Amino acid sequence: MADKTQVNDIDRSLYDQKNENIYKYKSQKGLTKEVIKEISKEKNEPKWMTEFRLKSLEIYKEKEVPDWGADISELDIDNIITYIRPDAELQNDWNDVPEDIKNTFDSLGIPEAEKKSLAGVGAQYDSEVVYHNLKKELVEQGVIYMDMENAVKEYEDIVKEHFMKLITPNDHKFAALHGAVWSGGSFVYVPAGIDVDIPLQSYFRLNAPGAGQFEHTLIILEEGADAHFIEGCSAPKYSVNNLHAGAVELFVGKKAKLRYSTIENWSRNMYNLNTKRAKVEEDGVIEWVSGSFGSRVSMLYPMSILNGERARAEFTGITFAAEGQYLDTGAQVIHAAPHTTSTVNARSIAKDGGQAYYRGLLKAAKNAHHSKASVSCESLMLDNDSISDTLPIMKLQTDDIDIGHEAKVGRISEEAIFYLMSRGISEEEAKAMIVRGFVEPIANELPLEYAVELNNLINLELEGTIG
Amino acid sequence: MYSKKLVDNLTTGQSKLLSKNRRDSFNIYSEINEPNFERIKILDYNMPKYSPYNKEYLKDKRGHEEIIIKKMTDSFKDEKEIIDFLDRFKENKVEKGNTGLGEKYTSMAESFYNTGLFIKSPAGVKVSIPVEIYYELDKENPFLIDNNLIVAEENSILTVVIDYRMKDKDLEAFHNGLTRVIVENNAVLNIIKVQRFNDKSDNFDSNFSLISNQGELNWIPIELGARNSLTNNENTLVSDGSQASISNVYFADGDRKMDIAFKINHQGRHSTSKIESKGVLKDRAKKVFRGDLYFQKGASNANGSEREEVLLLDKTVDSDSIPALFCEEDNVEGEHAVSAGQIDQQRLYYLMSRGMTEAEAKRMMIEAAFNPIFDKIPLSDLKGSVINEIKTRIRE
Repeated sequence: MADKTQVNDIDRSLYDQKNENIYKYKSQKGLTKEVIKEISKEKNEPKWMTEFRLKSLEIYKEKEVPDWGADISELDIDNIITYIRPDAELQNDWNDVPEDIKNTFDSLGIPEAEKKSLAGVGAQYDSEVVYHNLKKELVEQGVIYMDMENAVKEYEDIVKEHFMKLITPNDHKFAALHGAVWSGGSFVYVPAGIDVDIPLQSYFRLNAPGAGQFEHTLIILEEGADAHFIEGCSAPKYSVNNLHAGAVELFVGKKAKLRYSTIENWSRNMYNLNTKRAKVEEDGVIEWVSGSFGSRVSMLYPMSILNGERARAEFTGITFAAEGQYLDTGAQVIHAAPHTTSTVNARSIAKDGGQAYYRGLLKAAKNAHHSKASVSCESLMLDNDSISDTLPIMKLQTDDIDIGHEAKVGRISEEAIFYLMSRGISEEEAKAMIVRGFVEPIANELPLEYAVELNNLINLELEGTIG
Repeated sequence: MYSKKLVDNLTTGQSKLLSKNRRDSFNIYSEINEPNFERIKILDYNMPKYSPYNKEYLKDKRGHEEIIIKKMTDSFKDEKEIIDFLDRFKENKVEKGNTGLGEKYTSMAESFYNTGLFIKSPAGVKVSIPVEIYYELDKENPFLIDNNLIVAEENSILTVVIDYRMKDKDLEAFHNGLTRVIVENNAVLNIIKVQRFNDKSDNFDSNFSLISNQGELNWIPIELGARNSLTNNENTLVSDGSQASISNVYFADGDRKMDIAFKINHQGRHSTSKIESKGVLKDRAKKVFRGDLYFQKGASNANGSEREEVLLLDKTVDSDSIPALFCEEDNVEGEHAVSAGQIDQQRLYYLMSRGMTEAEAKRMMIEAAFNPIFDKIPLSDLKGSVINEIKTRIRE
């Protein structure tokens, strides 16, 4: 029999820290109109938002739970407290952030990242942003980077025009839920022609038993603007099921370019049912870089709508499913204008009984002539207890297009290992090298500190356990 | 219409076990609701009225003395054998992946079939002359439900050609077929299926196979006709070293709708499969291609590949492709690829620069793409008429 590659679990103790909870306000369990009204009142929201929430709640109650994909029957949404505000007001200075919250962030490396000249840190603790900072130069250029709650009030017109217009509560049950109970998140507005040369980073996490996370991210890039937004998350491990149903709406203007990077590393009891969507105008570019490592269940399919001529989308993703995980991820691209192009490069690794599922959609609408698309999926099976599935769907409604798709599944090639061993490398190291090589295209797309984090993650997964 | 009474009529004079099989299938049939085929937009489909099929469909040939061929509608003694073969399919059902036409259609075929053959090449019998079956629909016989069972026993070699055809251009005909195939140890079976009904007829066809140790099954399905054509072809590589290949051509023009599904379940070690599909979409045609490669746990050293190439000739076509890879075993190699687009412009201009018209050049390139698969049709008459049909339809 051929040898198997054994890969052990990562040491998660760093991420599984848990602070004592101090709450100012805790909403009642279960979802009723009263709860929604309370949340809205607590946030001092304009009336249209309160009404929007109530309407979403109605849609939520009507919609069925999707009957495909992951089994989410164990998820008891009514029991997940939808809104927990930490005992912390919004801070501008790191020194004023409460000590226990800071400790957790410290161990996650946030202040260090700040020192390394990141543009701003919107760290979300529970449902509200507790720390916010943006470099002076950017503020002077008119760049807005603030928490979503305040944006609703301060930039009401812009928010009202865009909020849940790409992802509507009618899309699916969890989008409706999000519309009803959303809380926290980031708002980014980059004026025409401005190039934000340092990545904007938001590190948020959950820290209360049974707390759901429903942050809303809204990014608007005007004509010719350029920005890179990084979303990262990690949560302590609890015994109660947790739900993440955030929404990310990205509006990329003409000739604008947005890169949206995510390293998702939720604790292994999280249900990550997130929705992400970008709309790209003429000559605009959206680049997704997506790493899915954590959570118990993920269903995440970022969608790019190429709405203007020559718009472009790129998706680079890696999914790593280990014991007890069902990670159902994939990219969706809608070619809705002529001469649009898209590239999807998705990789997955499954081990220790983990289940990785690629589910993608590529659609070329009737007017998408001269469009080009390529989709490439590769799956690595590290043992035969795991499951790896690939299901890409292509829908083509015009003829003058060029579509290519490829998918592969298999394990680490023995020939490659023997070759490396013949060059004097140990078997263990050879296998580790191949796995690192497998994720390299994704690591290359990440900013340095995230690439390092990704590499550490992979190294920890592989350390001393291959052979 | 499709009632118990009709089943009773059909079982009159038929032997005991096959009659029972019809009745059991009817029980399943009557409990299931009509399925909707959403992707291809065939909703609330009304099955036409039952009528018998009275035409001879088996072509007698010399050289087939050693093969056993019987009509499923007849009464015969050793029917136990057939039931035993059919029971194997019940024992080996795979749930994952595309579901084909569903049990409504397969149980309908099994309870109301009006034609069908049991063909068996006994152990060790190697026959090179193909068995030819012509299911031809006409005014007197516009309704066809064929229930076929083809078995290649150990170490045998057999080729079967089934041609579903019609001459009448205006007749509204119906076909729902069920073909089950068993390939035993070390046997080789080739099945060529050509479907060229007219633009007013509907075609439903389900195919299932089980392949054992070192057995080999080669399908050549050629889909050219029907207004709505929904076909499913599912193969299970049950044990070590079994092989399946599918070489498919489809040509959809006019307002034709096609839903073509292929599936390979790898269960045996060192099992191999290859799906190759080449298609052309023209006018307002719509097609859905589904191809599943499923590596079940235990299928170590299995190898499967799938490739779909589709040429889009008009702006108004609609093409869906859903290839899937399901994998529960690490020591396998699986891959699929899809490419879709127009005819290669450079080659087209090259041919035109040599004096061909655009239409001629296109026709030649399409033929060139299809020919490697057409070359696998063992009957030159059939091959010639298929090629001719495509030629005229490209020109139209």
